[in-house]
Amino acid sequence: MTPLLKLHNLRKDYGGLRAVDDVSLAVPEGAIIGLIGPNGSGKSTLINLICGSTDLTSGRVVYDGDDISGMRPDEIFQLGIARGYQEPSLYFKMTALDNALLPVKNQRGEKPWYAPLWRSWQNEEAQHAKAARDALEQVQLLQQYDRLASDLSGGQMKLLEIARALMGQPKLLLLDEPTAGVAPTLAYEIFQQIARLRDDHGITFLIVEHRLEILFDFADYVYVMHLGKLLAQGSVDEIASHARVREVYFGD
Amino acid sequence: MINIDIGATAVAVLTLFGIYSLMAISLNLEYGVAGVPNFGKALFVSIGAYTAGITYTRLLPLLAGDIAIHPCGPTMGDALQLRSEIMASQPAAGFVNLGLTFIIAAVAAGAVGFAASYVTLRLKEEWFLALVLLVGGETVRILVRGADDFICSHNGISGVAQPFYFIQDPRTSALFFMLLALTLALLAYLYSQRLLHSPYGRMLKGLRENEDITRGLGKGVSLARAQIMAVGSVIAAIGGVLFALNTGFVNTNDFVVTLTLDVWVMVVLGGIGNNRGALLGALLIALMDRFTQIGAIALNMSGSEIEFNYVRFIAFGLILLWMLRYRPQGLLPESRLTTGAHAVVKREIGALQ
Repeated sequence: MTPLLKLHNLRKDYGGLRAVDDVSLAVPEGAIIGLIGPNGSGKSTLINLICGSTDLTSGRVVYDGDDISGMRPDEIFQLGIARGYQEPSLYFKMTALDNALLPVKNQRGEKPWYAPLWRSWQNEEAQHAKAARDALEQVQLLQQYDRLASDLSGGQMKLLEIARALMGQPKLLLLDEPTAGVAPTLAYEIFQQIARLRDDHGITFLIVEHRLEILFDFADYVYVMHLGKLLAQGSVDEIASHARVREVYFGD
Repeated sequence: MINIDIGATAVAVLTLFGIYSLMAISLNLEYGVAGVPNFGKALFVSIGAYTAGITYTRLLPLLAGDIAIHPCGPTMGDALQLRSEIMASQPAAGFVNLGLTFIIAAVAAGAVGFAASYVTLRLKEEWFLALVLLVGGETVRILVRGADDFICSHNGISGVAQPFYFIQDPRTSALFFMLLALTLALLAYLYSQRLLHSPYGRMLKGLRENEDITRGLGKGVSLARAQIMAVGSVIAAIGGVLFALNTGFVNTNDFVVTLTLDVWVMVVLGGIGNNRGALLGALLIALMDRFTQIGAIALNMSGSEIEFNYVRFIAFGLILLWMLRYRPQGLLPESRLTTGAHAVVKREIGALQ
C-alpha cells in the first residue's frame, strides 16, 4: 500500500542552524503515527514544513501521490491536510460554533458578491451548522456551542481545535502536542477521541506528543527525532526498548 | 452675537454626517472587521473628488451638447460659467453626469484599492501597508497638485455643483442634496451589515484575529484582503464625490493626512468593528465640525486671538487618547456575528430536549 504522506529528505536551515536534517518518513493511510523527541529536536518545524507554513530548504513532501512541496498553506488545507497547534490557536473572540464553521471549504457566502445576498447562502449555512453541531457533539462540546472560545478550559480548547480541523474534512490531521496543558484524565480522553475518529472516519494522524505513556497506548508506529535528525523508528515496543532513544529521551 | 439658522445648520450637519458615514463605514469594513489598517483613506476619498473634478469639466459639457472648454489657465472663467449654466438649466445632464461620476470613481478607486493591497501583499506586516498607503496618498496628492491641466494644480476646480443646483431656492436644493447623501449612507450601511453578518464577514474577522491560522484553515487570505480593500475603496470614493459636491470645490488641499485621521477618529470613537458605531462616530464628528466652525466665527467676532481650528485638532487628539485609554472598544462595542447558524443549532438542541 502506498503511504498517504511521504517525506523525502526534508531539510530546513535557519541561517547556520539546521533545524530539520534529512528527514524521510512515511505515514500510511488510516494509521496513528507518533512523532517524539526532546524539546528543540525539530518536530514542530517538521509539521510546519508539511503544512507549508514554513518554506523548505530542500526535500520533497508527497501527499496522496502528488508533490506538494512549495504549496501555500491554504492550498495544502484544501487538499485535505489539517493541523492543530501547540499553543491553543482558536479564534478567541468567536463562539465555538463560529470557530467550527470558519474552515468549511467552498462556502458560497464567503464570496463577497454572494455575502450580502442572504438568501443565496442561508440554506447552505444551515447545512454547515448541522455538520458543525455533529462535530462539536463528537468532541463533547455541543453544550458550549454558544460560548466564546476564550471562555473554554484548556482541554476544551484542544478538543475544539480538533473539531474545527474536522470541519475541513481532512484526510490527514497533524497534531502538535494535543494534550499540552491538559489534565491527565482529559488527555487520555483526547486520544480516545483521536482513535475514534480514525476508526469511524478513516482519518490518518501524525501526532507530536510528549506524554509517551498515553501516546504509546494508541500509536501504530513511532518516529523519534533528535537534533533535527531521525534517530529511530519502529513499533511502540521497539521504541520503548530502544537503547539510544532511552538515552536521549530519558537520560538512562 | 451671531444668529444661527437652525434649519440650515441641521441640513448642513446631516449632509456632512451622510458623507462622513460613507468614509467611516468604509474604514470600519477594512480595519474594524478585517483588520487592514488603511491609513490612505484620504487617497481613496480624493479619487472620488478628482473624478468629479474631471467629469464636471470634461464630460458635463458634452452631455449637455456643448463643447468642453479647457478648465484651467486663461479659459478658466469661461469654463466655470459654462458648467454653472448647465447645472442650473439642464438637470438631466447634471444627473447623468453624476451617475457616471459615481461609476467611474467606484471603478477607479476599487481597482486602486485592490491593487494596493495586492502589491503590498509581500510585506508581511500589515502595518507596512498602512505606511505605504499613508505615503502613497500624500505622493498622489502632490503629483495631482503638480499637474497643471488635471484639476488645475493649486487653483483647483470650483463650480462642482450638487445635482439639485437647478432648484432656485437654495434651502430646498440643500435639503435634496442632504437626502441624497443620507440615502447613499443608508445603502452603504445596509450593505456593510449584510457583508459583516455572513460567512465572508466571519472569514474577515478570522483574518483580523489570526492571519496565519486563517491561511492554515484553507482561506485565500491575500485575496480576501484585496477584496475588502476594493469594497472599502469604492464606498470611500462615493463619499469623495459627495464631499466635492458638498463644498462645490475640488482641491488637493482637502485630501491631506488630516482627513484620514478624522475618519480614524470616527471609527475609534464609534466602536471598531461596529457599523452602527461608525455611523455614531460620523455623526459626532460632523456635529463637532459644525460647532467648531461656529465657535471659530464667534471667537473671531469677539476679537479673540485664539485660532479655533487648532482647538479642533487638540480636541480630536484628546478624544482619541481618552478613548484608547478608557474605552478601547469605542462607544458601541462590536456585536456578535449572526449568520443564522447559532439559531439552527439552538433549534436542533431544543428539539432533542
